[in-house]
Formats: sequence, C-alpha cells, structure tokens
Amino acid sequence: MLKSMTRFLLISVLSVLFFSCKSYQVENAVKKELPASDYKNRYFSNPETDYVYKAHIEVYGNQLSGIFIAKRMNDTLHRVVFTTDFGNKLLDFELSENDFKVNYIMEDLDRKMIVNTLRDDFRLLLKTNHEVQEVFESEEYLIYKSADAKRFNYFYENKKDNKLIKLVNASKSKEKVIFGFESKNSTFAEHVTIQHKNIKLKIELNQISN
Amino acid sequence: MKRNVFLVFLFMMSLTLFAQEQKMSASEIAAFKATVEKETKTIKSLKTDFIQYKHLDFLSKDIETSGKMYFKQPNLLNWQYTKPYQYSIVFKNSKVYINDQGNKSTVDAKSKMFEKINKLIVGSVSGNMFDDKEFSIAYFKNKDSYIAKLTPKTATIKKYINQVDLYFPMNDATVSQVKLIEPSGDFTRIVFKNKQLNVKVDDSFFTN
Repeated sequence: MLKSMTRFLLISVLSVLFFSCKSYQVENAVKKELPASDYKNRYFSNPETDYVYKAHIEVYGNQLSGIFIAKRMNDTLHRVVFTTDFGNKLLDFELSENDFKVNYIMEDLDRKMIVNTLRDDFRLLLKTNHEVQEVFESEEYLIYKSADAKRFNYFYENKKDNKLIKLVNASKSKEKVIFGFESKNSTFAEHVTIQHKNIKLKIELNQISN
Repeated sequence: MKRNVFLVFLFMMSLTLFAQEQKMSASEIAAFKATVEKETKTIKSLKTDFIQYKHLDFLSKDIETSGKMYFKQPNLLNWQYTKPYQYSIVFKNSKVYINDQGNKSTVDAKSKMFEKINKLIVGSVSGNMFDDKEFSIAYFKNKDSYIAKLTPKTATIKKYINQVDLYFPMNDATVSQVKLIEPSGDFTRIVFKNKQLNVKVDDSFFTN
C-alpha cells in the first residue's frame, strides 16, 4: 500500500513537472553552427558617449518620470544615474559583471527588492560582451543564446541589418524580462523598453538629443 | 612680442582675480537684504524663460533642458520644460498636476517633498528665502553679482542638498541664477532669462 502510494505520488509529481515545464524555446528557428564565441551588445559600449534618456517607469500602476544617464567608465564598469526632471538624483549605481556599488539612493527607493531588480536590469542592459553557447536562425533573426547564472539570455539580431532588436532573459522555462531596442545605426539605441513578466514593471527610455 | 604675451597673461590674471568672490560686509548684507525684501514684496506675478544644466562629474557634457516658468501670488506655479521634451508641473491648491508629454497625473501636494520643492522654486526665483529656518546663509559678491549661499539646517534636506547658491545681478533684486549642489558635488544650475515682473499672467497658464 505504502509502496503504491509512493509510486503514485512520484508519478504525479513527475508528470506535473514534465507537463507544466515546457522549456523556453525560440520559435520557428533552427540551430546553427557556432560562428563566434562572443556576442557584443554595442548599444552602451562607447566610453566616449554620454547615454542620456528621458525615462518613464510604470510600476504597479504608479508612473514615474525622470532622466536616465549611463556611461561606460572602462572595459567592465558602467555608471548609471536616474534623476527627476528637475535634476535631483534618485539613484546612482556603479556596476560591472561581478561588482555593484550604490553611490546614492533616495530613501523612498531604498528597498532590497527595488535595488536588486534595477541592478539586474541595468547590468544586463549595459553589459557589452556575452559568451555565446548556441546560435539559432529563424527567417528574420539570428538568435544568440548565452548562459546567465541560472538563467539564459537570448539576443535577437535582425538578419537584414544586423541590429539587436530584442533581448530575452529567461529561466529554463519562462521569459522573465524582455528588452526591446530601436536603433537607426546599430550602435546607438534611440528607444529602449524593459518589460518584466513576473512583476508589474515597465521601463521606457527615449533618447534626449542634447 | 614676448612683452605682449606677458601683458595678455597679466590681463587674464587680473580678470580671474576680478571674478573671484569676496565676503560681503555686515552693512552691505543689511542693505542687500533690505533691497531684495522690498522688491520681493512687490512681486505679484512672474514670467521667465529658463535653461537648466545638470552637471554630473563623469559626463563629458552637462545635460541641458529648457522651458518657461510662470508664478502668480499667492501660490500658483507652473514649471514647464519645452526642450528637448514637453513636461510641465503645476502647483495649485495644494495639488500637483503633471503633464508628461500628454500623460496627465495628479499628486497630493501635502507630500512634504513637493511642499519643499514648491517653496524652494518660488523662493529661489523671487529671492524670498532669508527668513527661512531651514537654511543658514552666507553672503558673497563678485564683479557683477551678489551671491547668497544657503546651507540646509535640517537633516531631511541635507540628504539631498549640500548648498544652494542664489545669484542676484547687482542691477536687479531678483535671482538670475540658482545652483543646487548635491552632497556628491554634482549640481543643477538654472539660469533665468527674459524675466518679466508683474505682467498679466492669465489663470489658464496654471491648468495642465
């Protein structure tokens, strides 16, 4: 009795695991030979450029507006500042792949959940070099897959003009964060969106021509 | 030739010396405060263009935004960015109305932060900040301006602002430039241009 009970439980647990966890798959794409070991996201890679954007943040129904500023300080380090429209700083981060420093954060925003979410978003947005594990090809895109701790990043590059259009951060089974890019010249994104799938957070960035 | 270069050098040196700030004497301060306070009392309305420069040490260029500002006694204020994007914020009847490129929202101005922003902006432009218990003030002058340097007294403001510099041109008792310096040393500089006092400012300027 106990034995069959255990087996029953095991089967049901396993079937739940198997059937509910369809792995995240790139749609309508076939695997390709690996052409390069690194994928370069060039949108925030030039240390000479001040990356300045008007930012809209929608978080659980609340609207926030301000100015988003990023700069590549050296090969691995980026500085990120978010200010209100009046110019006063709301946050000021320094981040690289392994390091993270909060230079300033306004008291109201100083919650672990907020800081960690923004840290992870900005880190992925700004990081230039990503080691490629697999490459897929669809009609429209070349898709570069890269491992990121327990998750994976998928870089969708338009075959037509080699522009990075979309970056999907996913667990084994689900999309977690989707980054969208609009770019005229493939080295600067005039428009960026960051959409979260498991929390109600959307960040929209529009370039400010200075 | 050499002598000419030397003369030019000397001339430039004297210019730098001239541009330096000096502390104002007690009598100068008293006279200056009296003039500004008298002028401030006559302000019923104010209309001005402004340019805002956000300076961050790590950037190669300051971030420049600009627009218009309208103020009407006792407490109507519209701070409106027109370049490089449209964003305006109206303070009216203890409410804050925001129009962000067509996206409208309202915030209760009882929030302490907005109350302080309102007070700071109105005080900055009109120059009426001398009675404030929130700041201690030091007075300086250079070649063409009087400068009031405000240091916050309360811990709440100190977290955001290290110092506020108000520039009053010598021929004008209202502020021409505000510099808000953060604890990090980064600052926001706002320069007012085409300022008009006591012209008709319609109430429609304060709807967002």
